[in-house]
Amino acid sequence: MRDPDILVIGGGPAGMSAALEAARSGLAVELVEQRESLGGAIYRQPIEGVQVIPQSAGARGRWAALSQAFSKAAIPVRFGSVFLGVDGHGYVLVENRQNGLVECLSPRAVVLATGAVEHVHPRPGWQFAGVSTAGGLQVMMKETGTAPRGSVLLAGSGPLLIAVAAQMARLGNPPLAIVESGDPYRRIMPGLSMLGFPKLLAEALGYLKDIHLHRIPWLRGSRLVRIERQGERFSAVVRAGDGSQSTFVCDRIGLHDGIRPNDYGLPQASSEAAAGPVILRAGDCREALGAIAAEADGRRAGRLAIQGVAASAADDIGKIDRQRRAQALLARLFAPVDDRSALDELADDTLLCRCEGKTVGDLRNLCQRVDSLTGREVKHNGRFAMGACQGRFCAANTAALMARFKPEAPASSAADLTGRRWPVRPVSIGALVRAASRDNDTQ
Amino acid sequence: MTEDTFRLMGRTISFRAGESIAAALQAVGVLTYGPDALGNETRCFCGIGACQCCLVRVDGVVREACITLARPGMSVEPMERRNA
Amino acid sequence: MQTRTPSTVIVVGSGIVGAATAYFLAKRGVAVQLLDATAPAAEATGAADGAVSVASKRPGPMMQAALAGVELYRNLAKAGLFADVFKSRSTFIVASSDEECSVLTSHADALAGAGVRVERLGAAMLRERFPALSSNAMMAVEVHDEGHAIGYQIVHRLLTASGTIVARRTPVEGLVRASGGSRVVAVATPQGNLQADAVVIAAGNGSGKLLGLEQILTPRKGQLLITERVPPLNAAMAGSIMSGRYLLSKGSQPAGNGKPARGLGLVIDPLSTGQFLIGGTREDHGDRQTNDIDAVSRILADAVALVPELAAVRLLRSFAGVRTAVTDGLPLVGRIPGLENAYVATGFEGDGICLGPITGKVMSELVCGESPCIDIAPFNPARFDGLGVAA
Repeated sequence: MRDPDILVIGGGPAGMSAALEAARSGLAVELVEQRESLGGAIYRQPIEGVQVIPQSAGARGRWAALSQAFSKAAIPVRFGSVFLGVDGHGYVLVENRQNGLVECLSPRAVVLATGAVEHVHPRPGWQFAGVSTAGGLQVMMKETGTAPRGSVLLAGSGPLLIAVAAQMARLGNPPLAIVESGDPYRRIMPGLSMLGFPKLLAEALGYLKDIHLHRIPWLRGSRLVRIERQGERFSAVVRAGDGSQSTFVCDRIGLHDGIRPNDYGLPQASSEAAAGPVILRAGDCREALGAIAAEADGRRAGRLAIQGVAASAADDIGKIDRQRRAQALLARLFAPVDDRSALDELADDTLLCRCEGKTVGDLRNLCQRVDSLTGREVKHNGRFAMGACQGRFCAANTAALMARFKPEAPASSAADLTGRRWPVRPVSIGALVRAASRDNDTQ
Repeated sequence: MTEDTFRLMGRTISFRAGESIAAALQAVGVLTYGPDALGNETRCFCGIGACQCCLVRVDGVVREACITLARPGMSVEPMERRNA
Repeated sequence: MQTRTPSTVIVVGSGIVGAATAYFLAKRGVAVQLLDATAPAAEATGAADGAVSVASKRPGPMMQAALAGVELYRNLAKAGLFADVFKSRSTFIVASSDEECSVLTSHADALAGAGVRVERLGAAMLRERFPALSSNAMMAVEVHDEGHAIGYQIVHRLLTASGTIVARRTPVEGLVRASGGSRVVAVATPQGNLQADAVVIAAGNGSGKLLGLEQILTPRKGQLLITERVPPLNAAMAGSIMSGRYLLSKGSQPAGNGKPARGLGLVIDPLSTGQFLIGGTREDHGDRQTNDIDAVSRILADAVALVPELAAVRLLRSFAGVRTAVTDGLPLVGRIPGLENAYVATGFEGDGICLGPITGKVMSELVCGESPCIDIAPFNPARFDGLGVAA
């Protein structure tokens, strides 16, 4: 088996466009995708015989163009394959889950396009089964063509919540309410500036129309402060901007506090690695700006992969800059109304790291020492970011809380906690044992 | 449309071709798949294979239910048997 | 030799040796300044296999030191200091070939001769005691009264218990002597000179440059692996497993092809979290940042050959530590030749966790002018001619 010249990790818009762009050069390009179909989370495809969930015309058009171009280019895709990392000798490690072994590839360049993960603040009760991310509910809707059943509460912040609410409504089960910590209606200036982004604005207004049509309460300036079990259901305590509290009884809860790059454990981007491939990042895993920017950034990375380094294309950079401005605007539009951070008033028994069962109080204790622990010491002695998700859902929150508990200490980042080691995802030892070592290949 | 099935802790679960294990289980109202090694209840959380909250044993191999396709005849078991 | 207790001591390096030295000095009422170029347990201590063990030792000074090291762990666990951070367990050295059986048999005799409690387990007995073990295992020797400790947890515990504050990001660039004398008055750091009555260097590979010992100290890398939690399989392991091949392969083997020498051993340690720690390599270079699939898949293949159920377990993380080795295989522990009040303790290679606390105790005794509780004469730095001191 010949190694591809360029290996692209991730079959979302960034990875697909990077592969397409790179393939134009005539070089051998392959794409690695963990699932059995392309599209990533944003364009997750429905199973056979199921209706595609309602999406904006823009998104539909972008996917149609991208997927058609991709099929036409006939780029080989390794489905059911999980990227594990780049090892010390420069091999790109991929767990092939179809044949149960780890493959060691030796491309000249690798483009990492592993997308984004949602940011979820810890809240008492977030660990219960039935509580998921709002994006998690959304990909399930995209896959199955059905809305989650029962009464569903959406909470957190950002435009994704209203998109999910509108899509649920169109599939026949509007959520009980949307609890939104920001209040876009009170942010006049960023609101007006959105006029400069007519496509995004049209998409948002389309979702808002559905929300009003189905009379879904959009509780702006409110926070979900606590989730409690009530028999088979949940009671969710919501605090409004004026301090008044109300309780929602529901079956499912979708949380979402923004997105961030899924760059956990990834090798550093390099243009001139001493040994091993040129490593590039593309799309949300480089900077989480959404699907439009991801596609443009994929093209940029694809071109860089061909050239090894150097020149980048001005048109794509323009597109990415524009999306960066749009995302910054959205962040201001959805900025929390309450100045207090959602992290400030967490009870000590709130779970912070779900994998290892570590709480806010455990971290507070560590931070109460006279000397200031580094991120790595907090990881070692508190077991934060040490579990199976490898910090994807606690490292950023832990770093943010460390800064609150000990403002005078040098700031730690999520990456200080997670480190940069492969495997970037847990992998079966059986598959590793069957890894074909290639260190003796060239002898 | 032909309906396929797999086994979850001895129970027969129908699924549609191309569906993930998590989606098939959600469709029949199963939201947790037994406890993990720490005693946490497993559940579909992120839907994209990142959070490791939805781990199950598929024919003995640990997999994320949200990104693993259901296949006819497969056996899906919880991570840990205690309390299951 | 001075005979009175100094009132202030600077300890350079907050790995396990430095932290233990600081702990035992602080207990005597000495004012200790513990300095680190980065942070506590940031190097070898933070990436160690954690064996508190004499099982692989041959009779000699290292075995004697290791026996004292294990005993101190047990005592400190009893006293409460290490109560929940020292896991008491046996080590099982497993032989899977005739060659390994014969080496293991004579090794067990040597251990027993040194007073170590060992027990020989034939195939049938072994299966009963250790159901998770593969049928490839022909015999084993159970070495009793051993244990496991995680280096960074021990450091954290020692620092917390003694109230020691580590001066982080404080690299020591040299020792400052009284003019023309053999007495060290301060250490030089970017933040200025820090004064003390005595100085202990426990800076691992950083000690080489500081003391001009680059020719004597060499970095030695070890790759290690950690699995997810598997409580039932973990509970089915009566102790840690060491492959008998480790006895054959101890010491590096040349790899040829211009690659650095690399030895492979196999230890599978069931941790109290329900995880397994699996190691490891011995490589003659200092690149801490990387793990390679060649080493990882070989180690894991050996592990699965001994414990087949591990094949269904997931690897969570790989990591690597760079230990400090001395060219003659013995650590450097003692007063620095030519200096009356400066000491060094480094070069423990893979034995740092086992020997760290006992070395800290010894250093506190030396610094206070007492004779040490174990024989450290074989570790005397003066055995190397031309030991230069950067000042």
